[in-house]
Amino acid sequence: MLGSLGMGGVGDDVALSETARVHELEHRRDRRSDVGIAVVVLVIVAAAALRPLLQDLLDKPAVAHWATIFVAITVQAMPFLALGITVSAAIAAFVPDDFLPRVLPDRPALAVPVAAVAGAALPGCECGSVPIAGRLVSRGALPAAALTFLLSAPAINPVVLVSTAVAFPGKPEVVAARALASLLAATVVGLVWARFGNDRFLERARRRHSHDGPPLSVMVETAQHDLLQAGGFLIVGAATAATLQTAVPRSILDGVAGSGAASLLALGGLAVVMAICSEADAFVAASLTQFSLTSRLAFMVVGPMVDVKLIALQAGTFGGRFAARFAPLTFAVAMGSAVFVGWWLL
Amino acid sequence: MVAALSAAGGTITMLVGAVLLRLTVTDTYRRYVKGGLGLWLTIAGVAIVLLGLVTLVRAIRRSRPGHEHDHGIGVGWLLLAPIAALLLVAPPTLGSYGVGRAANVNIKSGGGVFKPLRRGAPALSMSLLEFGQRAYDHRGTSFNGAPVTLIGFVAGDVDGGFELARYQISCCAADAAPVVIRVLGTSGDPPARDQWVSVTGKFKPGGGDIPDLIATSVAQIPAPQDPYE
Repeated sequence: MLGSLGMGGVGDDVALSETARVHELEHRRDRRSDVGIAVVVLVIVAAAALRPLLQDLLDKPAVAHWATIFVAITVQAMPFLALGITVSAAIAAFVPDDFLPRVLPDRPALAVPVAAVAGAALPGCECGSVPIAGRLVSRGALPAAALTFLLSAPAINPVVLVSTAVAFPGKPEVVAARALASLLAATVVGLVWARFGNDRFLERARRRHSHDGPPLSVMVETAQHDLLQAGGFLIVGAATAATLQTAVPRSILDGVAGSGAASLLALGGLAVVMAICSEADAFVAASLTQFSLTSRLAFMVVGPMVDVKLIALQAGTFGGRFAARFAPLTFAVAMGSAVFVGWWLL
Repeated sequence: MVAALSAAGGTITMLVGAVLLRLTVTDTYRRYVKGGLGLWLTIAGVAIVLLGLVTLVRAIRRSRPGHEHDHGIGVGWLLLAPIAALLLVAPPTLGSYGVGRAANVNIKSGGGVFKPLRRGAPALSMSLLEFGQRAYDHRGTSFNGAPVTLIGFVAGDVDGGFELARYQISCCAADAAPVVIRVLGTSGDPPARDQWVSVTGKFKPGGGDIPDLIATSVAQIPAPQDPYE
């Protein structure tokens, strides 16, 4: 505006149209907000009106199966998501802007392995670590290190390792192999990202501005924003996983059972498709007895790092272009790491 | 005003929390997740309701337009889908549709060695998993001819009886895996698919991967409060 003052008629026009534009924007926002409340009411009313139809649909076994799994994944993820969002919002509210860059190592060769090991300290599953990693990036932590933390936290925390030990009784080498392969995969992905990754793809996380104001108010606003964002993407992921679980019978796995490359890929793919919690996947892996231990290790290494629910959450937190690159990279590295550690230990 | 948009966001958030609390209060959550998660769902539900409430109150009190910026709800609208579904119809527990589509529980691992049951005692209630593991352990000698009672749902017909199944879940219904047992020796038509039944009978040696039970009584019952083992 100031610059336009000296420019005569043209500048005045710009200033005028600028005011008009702001006006128009506010107007549009007013309308959007009215629409917002209306949509909430409309959805509830419509659902109430269509209740008999919904009930009829649920009488179809396939639809009921889909709905149960969809709701189960959503409900199960909520406490973990709430925990992650709380931690993330607390970081936004109480950790000063320049704190993380100052205390964290800034050389990837050091920061990435440290982040991988630090993942052991967050007892939760993958839904919680996504918002936290997003916050770390927006607070100036080395992106490669934040991404390594994102991958390792749900894979090597104590709860997950204990449940793995319970699922594979008398086979401590499976627990060791899982921890090692996951650490290795998280570290390698972090280092690859530090070397070749383009932080431009993280702009969505970078753009997340912090609010100003008293810390508690910042915490509430951040948590509210994150909950709606992450929650929405969680719904996308849960619906995808439920669809794939319902549409693709597990019996097609029997065709590739055994220990070849096909069985490895099949179980890696199954982990992506099933999108189950990292605290539970060991039990599923234990039940897949027709597969080699290395294939089942791949299932447990890939699952906490790449699955359809996580890809949706990552796309929501970091941006779609990021997720489109990060997920294939992570899948390939996790598979390779599982094969290597499996060959060595199992 | 501007604030009304976050009023909608706060409303959605409160509904999410309210649905979680309703699931725990009515115990319906056990259809979807493991019983142990109940406490965490309650905590999360209370926290999310409070968050939505604070947002709503702030949105209403903040009436100066243009002063505060606002976030769009964006993809958060999708949260209305499970809210609408759960407030009105609660999807059922997993049923026979998933049996045969999911891999069965591996009864050959983790069972260990069982002490023999006491012969002549009244029928002992037992999980399908324990029945399967006992059947595998030393080919079922630990049953010692004693009668047992199993609770599960009917998963399908077999020659001379039906398949009885119950899911094991370790976290939520997405990781459910069924234990399946063949119930033989029933007379008349088998109960309908997905009907919950209480079956009393004795283990029959010689079955394959799916153990056999010779039934002495089959009673139809309502679905148990905790449908998974």
